[in-house]
Amino acid sequence: MNKVQLAVIGGGPGGYAAAFHAADLGMNVTLIDLEKNPGGICLYRGCIPSKALLHISKLIYEAQEAKKWGVDFGKPEINVEKLRKFKKKVVTKLTGGLGQLVKQRKINFIQGRASFLSNNKLAVKLTSGEVEEMEFETAILATGSVPSTIPGFPMDSPKIMTSREALELEDIPNKLLVLGGGYIGLEMGSVYSALGSEITVVEMMPQLLPGADSDLVDVLTKSLSKKFKSILLNTKVVDIKEIKAGIKVSFEGKDLKEKEQVFDKILVAVGRKPITEGLGLENTSVKTDRRGFVVVDEKQQTDDPKIFAIGDIVGGAMLAHKASAEGKVAVEAILGKKVAFEPAAIPAIVFTDPELAWTGITENEAKELGINYKVTKFPWAASGRATTLDRYDGLTKLIFDSETGRMLGMGIVGPGAGELIAEGTLAVEMAALAKDVALTIHPHPTLSETVMESAELFFGHTTHLYKPGR
Amino acid sequence: MIKEFKLPELGENIETAQIVKIMVSPGDEIKVDQIVLEIETDKATIEVPSEFAGVVKEVMVKDGDTAKVGQVIFTVEEQGETGQKKQEPEKEIIPENTTEPEPAKTEKPKTEVKDKGIYEFKLPDLGENIESAQIVKFLVKEGDSVENGQVLFELETDKATIEVPSEVSGVVKEIRAKDGDVVKVGDVILLIETGKVSVDSKKESEPVHEEKLEQQPEIKAEETPSVQPERKSVPPHVPKRSGMPEKIAPAAPSVRRFAREIGIDINQVRGTGPGGRISIDDVKKFAKTLNQSLSGSGGTLAVTGIKQEPLPDFSKFGEIEVQPMNNIRKKTAEHLSFAWATIPHVTQFDAADITELEKLRKKYSKKAEAVGGKLTITAILLKVIAFALKKFPQFNASIDLQKNEIIYKKYFNIGVAVDTDRGLIVPVIRDVDKKNVLELSAELSQISEKARAKKITLEDLQGGNFTISNLGGIGGTGFTPVVNSPEVAILGVSRGKLEPVYVDGEFVPRLILPLSLSYDHRIIDGADAARFLRWVAEALEQPFLLILD
Repeated sequence: MNKVQLAVIGGGPGGYAAAFHAADLGMNVTLIDLEKNPGGICLYRGCIPSKALLHISKLIYEAQEAKKWGVDFGKPEINVEKLRKFKKKVVTKLTGGLGQLVKQRKINFIQGRASFLSNNKLAVKLTSGEVEEMEFETAILATGSVPSTIPGFPMDSPKIMTSREALELEDIPNKLLVLGGGYIGLEMGSVYSALGSEITVVEMMPQLLPGADSDLVDVLTKSLSKKFKSILLNTKVVDIKEIKAGIKVSFEGKDLKEKEQVFDKILVAVGRKPITEGLGLENTSVKTDRRGFVVVDEKQQTDDPKIFAIGDIVGGAMLAHKASAEGKVAVEAILGKKVAFEPAAIPAIVFTDPELAWTGITENEAKELGINYKVTKFPWAASGRATTLDRYDGLTKLIFDSETGRMLGMGIVGPGAGELIAEGTLAVEMAALAKDVALTIHPHPTLSETVMESAELFFGHTTHLYKPGR
Repeated sequence: MIKEFKLPELGENIETAQIVKIMVSPGDEIKVDQIVLEIETDKATIEVPSEFAGVVKEVMVKDGDTAKVGQVIFTVEEQGETGQKKQEPEKEIIPENTTEPEPAKTEKPKTEVKDKGIYEFKLPDLGENIESAQIVKFLVKEGDSVENGQVLFELETDKATIEVPSEVSGVVKEIRAKDGDVVKVGDVILLIETGKVSVDSKKESEPVHEEKLEQQPEIKAEETPSVQPERKSVPPHVPKRSGMPEKIAPAAPSVRRFAREIGIDINQVRGTGPGGRISIDDVKKFAKTLNQSLSGSGGTLAVTGIKQEPLPDFSKFGEIEVQPMNNIRKKTAEHLSFAWATIPHVTQFDAADITELEKLRKKYSKKAEAVGGKLTITAILLKVIAFALKKFPQFNASIDLQKNEIIYKKYFNIGVAVDTDRGLIVPVIRDVDKKNVLELSAELSQISEKARAKKITLEDLQGGNFTISNLGGIGGTGFTPVVNSPEVAILGVSRGKLEPVYVDGEFVPRLILPLSLSYDHRIIDGADAARFLRWVAEALEQPFLLILD
């Protein structure tokens, strides 16, 4: 039987980052994934293809906006076939690149499906149908997650999509219902809206992006309600029926105008669930919690000392960059280093237009934790750079410990928020004070100045915002 | 690729260890986890496994050497990829500075940098309310060049002799005191020409205008010691998996990682930066103070107040041989002096008639052998004592004089003194109340064997509540054992002897076991001790008592 030092199961951004790090540190690594190359959901069916499409939808929106400024591009002609090709090219280029990196690092990459036979043996069903067994010293479980479905929904109907099918861009439905006002629903809704679909978003909670601070979400909701046909909050889908003309959906909720509507397609984006089935976890001592997430300690070690787990499968923020960071911790823990996954901030970004991002703690969390905090907000209406973009709707919000002035979190909404949030993450990790951020020279004219000016507001005043009577 | 095998972190703030035996030599091929080193710390002898596989290139130490944690012991050429990564320096942080015992540096001297790079070296804050000290000896003279960290002079306070290191590199310009002078904290002792204009430029350039609120706590932070070792009993911070931990220490990720690597809970470190930000130096200082407070040096003298008398020159009277104390002996000496000097000891004597017990012991000894144990009086006593501790909880306690508190323990771990060729070791048997006598006999055999074979781990020696010392195997009619502080009582067992006992009008031979109980009179009253020991004796005579009430 084949003996491997480290088996990494799942080649997503958690798994491949772990495998690469382990190889760089001198380990003998086997990486197992279903696809030909690493990449996982993120590269094949998630972050990357959706961002390629969102880039295009942003372009379409901006071209429309340009009319106001005296430049008319006319009505866009959309060639869906070519769009798909572009998206595919992006994915192939990136995953192919990862395949190269696997080779350069001399990682043993196996395309197949792995399951545990015991706490030191794996069976990998290869694409050829053959089964290869191997004995491992340690394993990192990084199988990720799949879109959650709704019990009773005919998920196999071609009219019902998850993010996976939605990214395939089979067609552009006239009327699309997005079920779930989380980031996936809003991003994909934005793509289809730009490509011409009429979008309805339905969300059970009273706001989009439940959990995020409402002052930021309000800005996004305002912008989206101009692009989408309607955003139904506090509303549930109680029944769906496939009819000739499409899918008839019954809603239940306050302030509903139409209790029933017909859509061409539905995008179900109600969250993601961990992939733990079929892994043979029952043959190990790995434990899962009530919601199916693998239980790990701060070193990412499961209850089976030889098996570590990282990424979506362990819950928490189901984000690629969190998975990669956990992967590196797991590898170093395996090598006996004293490490722990203990970030002060994990940035999260919604790539809508405007983008919305936050890092560290949110104001909601600060309240919940009973922290004595102070919030400063710098509206982009006072930003020169935002004005040149003709975008006044942004907001840069900082959350500070009111006693020490230590920056605890940042929230930002506006074009480019996703790039701007990185500074906030570094500031929070470094335990920067309001003074540190305020005294750091930010380049003019950029949107990043709003971070500096927001920090200045901690002391009551800033250059481009007049606040009388301090 | 050449890897350096360094002396690993030994836990418990152990900084150095003596190399008992190095088991590899250049050219040897070693595997991961192969035992490469036997070391002796204050507490135990430990076998150290290798983290690497490969061929040993060079061995930097020899048997008998003392090595510091983090010190390179030998180098290994790893098999496989050679050369490829050679250029990359090992990034591992060596926590050497942290663990170095430098009792002198209690506080960074508050020195100022004068113009033209003249550094005024002032007598640093010596802590503990010490205001002045006598300079024993200058180790530098005017014109000498000194390095940062080089010892400048020796100082004697009423507690200890301290070597005071320089904080800068440069040339000694002027020495303003001489050997024997008594100097005050803050006095300028010498001037060092650094060539650099400013050393503490960071502090100076810090904006002092506005921000009064921020500045104030900072000044405070300098006055009070930056570390609070007494907080070490705070339970370790466990980060929550879901969402963010409730409080994240104000320290950069690199600092948090460093603290973790050297085994410091970052949440206990007090930051001296703006807003309480914790720097690597804060962590190092904390670690150092923690080491000092744990090693208790200075504490012993303060407690006893006894002056060490000079020893006569014994060789005048005859032939002698001088041998260094091994670490176990050193630790035993320190520990027992402390216990003897601080605990008001009283010893209670009693005896138990174990004639019947002895019959039972013999009868069931086969059963114990079957599980790998030996049914000894000590094994039986472990169980009896566990019951006694439950019945007399003040014997299962510790005293915290600082806080005026008595700590009652709800668990029953009992230490057993084991005689080894390197000295006395007291391994601890855990949760004695939850184990039966057979299990205890097996565990006792194993752990004694482990102790004698030098296989004992630090963990095996920690967490005892009470100690049993059985010298009966050697002989004796009674002795007064010393309480194994912070425990509060110890049972001494001597040799059982057949004695004539007057029963029902005649003398009959009975097997009598002498027992002695030394206890800490601060927490245990004489009557309680008499009751405790009587109860133990009666339980040995009539084991039924154990389950009666």
